[in-house]
Amino acid sequence: MAATATLAASVRSRRPALTAFRKAVTRKPGRIIGLAIIVFFVLLAICGPWFYGRLAVDPNSLYAAPSAKHWLGTDFAGSDVLQEVVTGARYVLATAALSALFTSLFGVTIGLVAGYQRGLTDSALMRLTDFVLTIPGLPLLIILSTVWNFGSPWKMGLILGVTGWGGVARAVRSQALSLRERGFLEAARGLGLSRRHILLKEMLPNVAPYAAMQLMLSMIAFIGAEVGLFFLGLVPFSSTNWGVMLNQAVFSGGAMETPSALIYLLAPLVCILVLTLGIVLFLDAIDELFNPRLRERV
Amino acid sequence: MSRPKPLVAAIAVAAVAATALSACSSSSSSAKKTNGGGGGTGGVFTSIDANNKITAGAPMNPYNASPNMFKGYNWMQLAFTKNDPSDPNAVLPGLAASWTSSDSGLTIQLQPNAKWSDGTPVTAADIKTSLAIAYTQGTAGPVASAGGTVVAGSNFEVSDVKDLGGGKIEIDQQPGVKNLYFQRLVLTATIVNDKVYAGQLPADIWTQIAAVQGTDPAAASAAADKLAAEGKTIAAFSPAKDVSAGPFVETRVNPGEALLDRNQYFYAANKISPKQVILRSYSGNQQIWGYMNGGELDYAPYTSMPTNILNQVLKAGYTRIDAPSYVSASIAFNEKQAPYNLTPVRQALAYVIDRDAVTKVGEPVGGITAPTTTGLVGSQSDSILSADQKAALNPYSPDPAKAASLLQGAGFTKDSSGQWHLPNGQQWKITLQTVNGFSDWIAASTIVANELTAFGIQTTAAITADFATYQKEMAAGKYAVGWWLVALGPQTDMAYARIYGSADGYSVTNGQAAHDDNAATNWEHTPASYTVNGQSIDPGQLAAQLSTTPVSAQQPIIAQLAAATNQELPVIQIWNYTHVMFDLDKRFTNYPKTGQDDLLANPPGVWMMQGYVQGK
Repeated sequence: MAATATLAASVRSRRPALTAFRKAVTRKPGRIIGLAIIVFFVLLAICGPWFYGRLAVDPNSLYAAPSAKHWLGTDFAGSDVLQEVVTGARYVLATAALSALFTSLFGVTIGLVAGYQRGLTDSALMRLTDFVLTIPGLPLLIILSTVWNFGSPWKMGLILGVTGWGGVARAVRSQALSLRERGFLEAARGLGLSRRHILLKEMLPNVAPYAAMQLMLSMIAFIGAEVGLFFLGLVPFSSTNWGVMLNQAVFSGGAMETPSALIYLLAPLVCILVLTLGIVLFLDAIDELFNPRLRERV
Repeated sequence: MSRPKPLVAAIAVAAVAATALSACSSSSSSAKKTNGGGGGTGGVFTSIDANNKITAGAPMNPYNASPNMFKGYNWMQLAFTKNDPSDPNAVLPGLAASWTSSDSGLTIQLQPNAKWSDGTPVTAADIKTSLAIAYTQGTAGPVASAGGTVVAGSNFEVSDVKDLGGGKIEIDQQPGVKNLYFQRLVLTATIVNDKVYAGQLPADIWTQIAAVQGTDPAAASAAADKLAAEGKTIAAFSPAKDVSAGPFVETRVNPGEALLDRNQYFYAANKISPKQVILRSYSGNQQIWGYMNGGELDYAPYTSMPTNILNQVLKAGYTRIDAPSYVSASIAFNEKQAPYNLTPVRQALAYVIDRDAVTKVGEPVGGITAPTTTGLVGSQSDSILSADQKAALNPYSPDPAKAASLLQGAGFTKDSSGQWHLPNGQQWKITLQTVNGFSDWIAASTIVANELTAFGIQTTAAITADFATYQKEMAAGKYAVGWWLVALGPQTDMAYARIYGSADGYSVTNGQAAHDDNAATNWEHTPASYTVNGQSIDPGQLAAQLSTTPVSAQQPIIAQLAAATNQELPVIQIWNYTHVMFDLDKRFTNYPKTGQDDLLANPPGVWMMQGYVQGK
């Protein structure tokens, strides 16, 4: 036990996590921008709605152009588009975060166990993973939306997470298979450390950055899926949902035909694009943290 | 759009050529207009059929659920309704040039040159086969078994069709049956070619029809089942080619469009100007708006649209045509679910909802704020009710104080944060149900939810995936409050049957309404009697009476129903629709104008039959 602790401590001391993270992020301006975008949206989701009250409507000011009162103009009901974008960020990010949580819970656990245990356990878990990977996500969500109410991010996050962990499990398993042959794990096994200790204390920290990278990629897909579902109009109607905004702008406001509803269309669209961009830029830093070759190159 | 580009080019060339020719020969063009003749010189007329989307692979069979057949173009009738509330039997001629009604039925005179697109004449056999098929499709009988004498005005009952020679055909009504709308229902029945469809019918079809009309209930029921089964076979039938008696015949259908060529054998072919009609496919309103923005459609039927799109299409050169629409959008209640069983609650909600604001958002172009709730559209109730009767109606103008007073009187309480609580102490929350794709209802729900929430009733809008599911779930009692179309006129019995009909547990047999609160279709659950002005009435019975009462004698019944509906509010009418259409006076001219309601109740193919829509 003491030997393993020393081993882990020595790994940590060579490159403390926080310092490594800071160095990786600050090495390129794009990574800083990526992190800033993510932080901005997280703050928007947490604090944004506090600045607004109930969404007001104004039937005499439909699809109004941007003005001092409505910076991004108004929508089909005369509601402030900026308020809708800000308020809607919470659902999108909460769902994406919850999906990621469920995905990491299932994907990382199953991937680690399968990769470490191998044999029958690995086969059983990978067949289960293959089954999950064959489930067509969006069609399933469309069907479920007819019987479930996705008004809460919890339910949406759960479904996205439960159906979206397959890729992460596969990726983590491949990492685990590689890790289990490394010397420090052979040493840990030789010392008779428990399976739980090896999985949680030795393997998990090593696959965590890789899993995080996979999760962030998954989050992009999750955001697309949830917004897409709302865009299709198959979930509870809420004016402040980005997908609903896109739906209303295209199908009711004629944003593709007339410029008056264009900002209403672009507002959530730009948010999705910028958020995705932020995640992609930040992934570069995560990649460096994980990939030893990249670390060595700098 | 899946239409191949070369065809677009070909059409464009054809349209340009037609325009150039007409521009170069003004004298011949004006001559053409003066004689009202078309003769296929007008180029390609492009439109969409709002009631019948193009379905790839569907048969050219008007009885199919999604037929690739288009009313007024290649889907013909003996006549076409004028949608006239003062005379529901009024029609425009189609394959029938004239007709005379009697107590025993109808005698029609076919158009002198009525022919199918294969050059063979339209005969009594075609009419007889078509009316027999109607029995298999549920548009005719069985309605009056066991000696019944009176039926509701949605189905007709024919006992025989006789060829009197010279294109004169006698259509006998089932003896003993009195149907106020027999003339219109028969004349507007779908007419198909006997040679194409007779093979789909059993040889004893008229024996089966006689059994349905007979006095033996068991035999009638068995025959009705058999007819229904045969109806499914006919609906699935796919003719090898279109044999049309209309002005056009379908030559090609692909997922993007249907192409119809002028039928040279059509009885009034000289009046038909377009040599071709293209009916475009569309997936939703926005695609139709796109077509209009590009000036691609010569005629566009009603689509729900915001004001910005209206301005855009007007700028693109379209002219707006308005026609009456006997349809009203309303919010309906399931009175089995508390607290909507309480009249003061429904009245309070009517006082909270600002119908003007809701209409501005929900249906800014095609909606007129409902002046109040009567069960009829505003223009129809205005023309029927007396000044005193109209004055006695409650307009339910927005009045939150009155709403609060009504709720308090019903035992509701308001907490310190302004939220209303039910008499049992629970917070009052409303889910307003609407349907995916119904953009007007969805947008309007936002405003209604906002108004009710601001008043202290937490309201959210919920969307059902499609209308079929919506109807199914509504019938199953899953929704307490939801959108519903009412006042489906101009036939008043049909308008009131929408509220006090099967959706309210009523069934009409022999002119008598029976109420069953446990009926599978009942989701409204209104009481079977109302007390209005001190008098007890049965709204379902009154609605049934309307079906057997001539229009001229309906006023007293309608006055009672309007007053009851206004007082009890089984639904809250929000807006009445206007049938807004658009024509493009670029390639064609001489469209019907606002005010020509009889023509505008029909698709452009019917206008063309009457000599309208001439190439420029």
